Amino acid sequence: MVRHTAPATEDPLARALAHAAGVLPDQGPIGVFIHHNTLHAYQHLPFHEAVQSGAARVGARPYLPLDEFRAAFARARIERRDIDAALRELLGADAEAPGPLGLTQASAWRALMIEPVDVTDAAGFRYAIAEGVSPIAIDRARWDAVIARVARGPTPAPTPESLPTRHREMLQRLTAEDIDAVVHPELVRLSAGFLDQGQAVDVLPGRERGFLAAVATLYASGLSGPRGAAAAASDLARLAAQDTVSADEIIRDVLDALEVPAEHREEYLLATALALPGWSGMFSRLERHPEERADAVTPVLAEFLAVRLLFERRAIERVCSARGLPSAWTALRALLPASAPVDPLEAGLVLLALANAAALSTAEVGALDDASLRACWQLRAAATTVRRQQVFHEAYEGRYRRQTLDALAAHRAAALARRPAARAAAQVLFCIDEREESIRRAIEELGAEYETFGVAGFFGVAIDYQGLYDTTPAAHCPVVVVPDHEVHETPIAADLSWHVLRERLRARWNGFERAIGRGSRTLSGGAGLSFVLGPLAGVAAAGRVVAPRRTLAFRDRVLARFVPRPATRLSALREEWTKQASSRGKPVGFSLQESTDRVVGVLRNIGLTSQFAPFVIVLGHGSTSLNNPHESAHDCGACGGRRGGANARLFAELANRPDVRAAVRERGIDIPDDTIFVGGLHDTADDKVQLYDLGAIPPSHDARFETICVMLERARRESARERARRFDDAPLGLTPQQALEHVEARASHLGQPRPEYGHCTNAIAVVGRRALTRGLHLDRRAFLISYEPAHDPGDAILERILAAVGPVGAGISLEYYFSSVDNGRFGCGTKLPHNVIGLLGVMNGHQGDLQTGLPLQMVELHEPMRLLLIVDATPESLLAVASRQAEVAELVTKEWVQLVSVHPLTGDLQVFKAGAFHAYTPEAITLPVVDRSVEWHGRSREFVAPAQVRAALAEIG
Amino acid sequence: MLIHTTLALAAALPLAAALVVGLRVLVDATRPSERWVFAVVETSLVLSLVATASVAAQWAGLIGDPLRGEVSFGDWLRLGDYYIPAIALVDAAAVALGTLGAMLTLLVARFSRTYLHKEPGFVRFFTLLALFAAGVQLVAYAGALDVMFAGWELIGISSALFIGYFHERDEPIRSSLRAFTTYRLCDAGFLMAMVSVHELVGTTRLAALQDAATLPAWEVEVIAGMLLLAAMGKSAMLPFSGWLPRAMEGPTPSSALFYGGISIHMGLFLMLRVAPLLAAAPIVEYIAVAVGLTTAFYATSVARTHSDAKGALAHATLAQVGLILAEIALGFTTLATVHLTCHALLRVFQYLRAPNTIHDAHRLGHAAIVHPHPSASPTPGRLLRYGAALHRLRLEDRLDGFIAPVLRLARALDAFDRRLRGAPRAESV
Repeated sequence: MVRHTAPATEDPLARALAHAAGVLPDQGPIGVFIHHNTLHAYQHLPFHEAVQSGAARVGARPYLPLDEFRAAFARARIERRDIDAALRELLGADAEAPGPLGLTQASAWRALMIEPVDVTDAAGFRYAIAEGVSPIAIDRARWDAVIARVARGPTPAPTPESLPTRHREMLQRLTAEDIDAVVHPELVRLSAGFLDQGQAVDVLPGRERGFLAAVATLYASGLSGPRGAAAAASDLARLAAQDTVSADEIIRDVLDALEVPAEHREEYLLATALALPGWSGMFSRLERHPEERADAVTPVLAEFLAVRLLFERRAIERVCSARGLPSAWTALRALLPASAPVDPLEAGLVLLALANAAALSTAEVGALDDASLRACWQLRAAATTVRRQQVFHEAYEGRYRRQTLDALAAHRAAALARRPAARAAAQVLFCIDEREESIRRAIEELGAEYETFGVAGFFGVAIDYQGLYDTTPAAHCPVVVVPDHEVHETPIAADLSWHVLRERLRARWNGFERAIGRGSRTLSGGAGLSFVLGPLAGVAAAGRVVAPRRTLAFRDRVLARFVPRPATRLSALREEWTKQASSRGKPVGFSLQESTDRVVGVLRNIGLTSQFAPFVIVLGHGSTSLNNPHESAHDCGACGGRRGGANARLFAELANRPDVRAAVRERGIDIPDDTIFVGGLHDTADDKVQLYDLGAIPPSHDARFETICVMLERARRESARERARRFDDAPLGLTPQQALEHVEARASHLGQPRPEYGHCTNAIAVVGRRALTRGLHLDRRAFLISYEPAHDPGDAILERILAAVGPVGAGISLEYYFSSVDNGRFGCGTKLPHNVIGLLGVMNGHQGDLQTGLPLQMVELHEPMRLLLIVDATPESLLAVASRQAEVAELVTKEWVQLVSVHPLTGDLQVFKAGAFHAYTPEAITLPVVDRSVEWHGRSREFVAPAQVRAALAEIG
Repeated sequence: MLIHTTLALAAALPLAAALVVGLRVLVDATRPSERWVFAVVETSLVLSLVATASVAAQWAGLIGDPLRGEVSFGDWLRLGDYYIPAIALVDAAAVALGTLGAMLTLLVARFSRTYLHKEPGFVRFFTLLALFAAGVQLVAYAGALDVMFAGWELIGISSALFIGYFHERDEPIRSSLRAFTTYRLCDAGFLMAMVSVHELVGTTRLAALQDAATLPAWEVEVIAGMLLLAAMGKSAMLPFSGWLPRAMEGPTPSSALFYGGISIHMGLFLMLRVAPLLAAAPIVEYIAVAVGLTTAFYATSVARTHSDAKGALAHATLAQVGLILAEIALGFTTLATVHLTCHALLRVFQYLRAPNTIHDAHRLGHAAIVHPHPSASPTPGRLLRYGAALHRLRLEDRLDGFIAPVLRLARALDAFDRRLRGAPRAESV
């Protein structure tokens, strides 16, 4: 009965819906979390323009608040010269032009940035001055003189008020009544009942017919409407009686009834969609991504807005008629004041800051002429809050860029002088993830004979993977790729009978556990289960809270003892002549040709084409934590928000096959017969390293493999120790073993909102030879992508790498950026009141908006900056790649990442800015040198500057 | 005597901890360290648990002869004719609640040590937790209605403040206010019952409540009715259930302790305490059975429609609480005590694991609930039932209509007051 008219483009509704799809949070059900640019719809604009207009649209902050920048300035995180450089960039030639009170423009701007001149709490401010506790009150006479001078005029031009678009804001200003408080609870319950993917026992009846139809039918059954919009119930009931109902028509009717002028309709609808961004966004996301829907539910954003507007209209009319206000848009808006005078307090602060900067005496301040004052107000109008934030932001990034590039330049000579071992003992391949930087450094510190590489963590094998106990295959590759192959994990023949038995046990246990969850909600089930399970639950809760690590370890030991997991293998190989297609029509496993392509591709990408070690360890990564709805956000981004273990295992298996080796050899990469690839999984929460298929290691390698295992054990403890220093509740100076136990306890604790800090430390991406960064302490801040420019004359490899790494790295960096600068609006706030709803996401409390983005606990340490993408390639190569890869070009030219070229031969640095590369001359600094990383970071909880670690630069003697 | 010391310590230690932390914050402007706050509160909770366990041991006869009945500490207050006896009553129900309360509070405190880490309200959280712990011990061992009332209020105020824990947002404040208002309204019943018992029986000692049964029938009915009112508010029985889902605004561990564990069961405990009186008031008994069962059915159907983990759990809990109320009113007090204890343990654990829902869905292979394929078109009856449960019978709207005039009056008075003092206008909540 619902019909959708195909919208014409000039239709404001169609335009608003198209626009809304871009501005609303684009986050699917939270079970699989993909990092993306929160303002992806603005990515075609230059960064500053985009964040400013995007943030204004959704009512958020585009940058860190000024107070935080000032605090960063106070602790020298930003230096004065960084501010000056940023100002020169913004003001151009005007920087040195004369400004107010004899200052230059730049110094006047700087004064307004460094001094707090914005008043957020006028009453509190006045109180602090009156009580003498404000720093301004120290020289009270000066402040009084300033205020007296301001009072004599001329006054700053009044700030134009931004008039609200929606009736709700207008009514809120005029009557202090909030119609959203009437509409939202109703809407949230209906939406949750409609979209639920498996938490509620009863869902919205008839929901498969669409939101509008189901809601209309619900109210047609005689249900009353909410107090405050009761009439909407009969509106909906009337709709149910009609043959066809179009969401578009309803929206138009409501806008007609509220007399919203045609030219404001797009704006109005957009603002309406953004009033409950999480739920609107979920409708929009699922409308565009059918694969993320559960059950036969078809969400449509227009239907959601139609239902919303039906309630909203009645709520508006009710308030308007009760207060004697017009409900017509234009008439209501005319009642609002157009501008507000500037608070003399704020004007006074500006004058004081400028007078201080110009070193005027109190008497001189009192005697300022009107022209000087006008010049001050002019500057104040130009240096808006957002502008000053923009300058601060550039300075904040500039300082870090300077520090990093200087360190890289200073490290270069020492790094390239190192003569690598003729044959390494092991080569370890990691994901490019910046969280792996610490364990890679730890491995390299353990011996000159260990080398590490970084490659996107799906290891070139894009697969739909179905693990032994997964019900459906899931894509294990970057989200932009659709896998062509399926791979299944199956039990080995010897364990088949045990597998069958275990599977039956497992199914029964899972059914039992589900029955408990569901049954305890029923009347009889709840009573019965209370008696049976209550005391057990008490014991379990005590164990899980008092000794989480031991309790879980005990459980795992018992399970491994009595119901061990059967040994498995992957369906990796597909005979050329068979189709072996899965039920979904994809080939299962890789043919010889395909396998060879994958292996050669990865090895070429990372520049590992000769001098293979006896062991090549391939480690994917994932993260396990409890009570963490955002668990998936810690998994591997290159595996589409899943774990990379299967990909690593598969890659190792392909590379170990003799026929693949032979084919690879034909392509010019000679892998010696005594080289063994071993796949594994690194858990970034508890730093566990699990290796697969160890049965494939021949006896000849046993002794050497033991050494490798010991090395990995030491490295993961060292990594745990480096991570533990950032956790305030872990004492500094833990031993590696204690640190490991600490992170294990975190990952197994139900009451731990910070099992790990995720990508919180991301800031840099280095694409290039590891030699450039080996032995440089980068504090887990750098994505490290192995790339050998000497093997890549045509830039084909570079192109592949940047096309994959650019968007993934920028996505992570920007998701963290936005969730940090305005955690309440772009992020999802603190985890503590989060309530999982409908398996879709989390909301605060009992009926609020779906909270999207990252929680406070994940971003609290983050320094929001654009990714500093440093590439071991010439500017010419980079420009050539950008000309072929549109998305990379957009990220670079619109400055969503900061691209730096390091000349492969000379090491010259060039920074991309305003459309071109500009040479950067590094300052000659002496890098701090330590023997081991822990000496550098061990005593601090903060970020540490780069340092040289001697142990990692040692040569085989 | 040992029993006096242990009883006193069980309640006094957490109270002292709350005072120590509170005073330090008042005197010293710098924020005390998390470590210190937790050490103070945890020590008091551990010792309180030891004390209450020792009371239990004395009651069970593990230390000396079994000790049952009243333990007097003299008078708390004497104003002419009116006096409040400081008296404890040690029996099975008291020991059960005392131990359970102390254990669960300690458990939640340990859980919250990491959960609340770095939270701006850390100190506030643990101070309130200590206050709550003291309240529970007071209620558990109270030998007189007045003493019980003191503990009852401590629990009520800490509950309301926990709901409003995130006070920078509007919604928690609104919810907190609602819970507080409901408590106040229903506590009036407690207060009036207390005064009536004192006037009519001469003492508020629980042990003397049997004497009240000899009063004229209507008096007994009224007193029991007022006590039932108090219990209904605290335990969110119909028609006062509206505040319970809103109480989910607080941090998860406090939701677990209050609305899965102790606070929600407090009304039931009161009913257990005044069981002799209830037994003499058949009409109120019928009402209690009706209220309990209606709430149970209501809450079960609401729990079915709730998509959110905590909301569904809150109503599932409420259903059992309704059932237990009916059990008490029907005279199955021992069954009710066991049911209550086991139920509290189960729910606390379920609440603490509520954020794990998605992890569990992955682990178990698919969602906990797989929706059956829908029937062709829903019947009007099903629609109405679903809608009523989804909107919770519009209880809140109805209650709003009832209290709106009161709120308006309060706002007007507040505005008048502010105008007098020239203070800025309050934001409406």
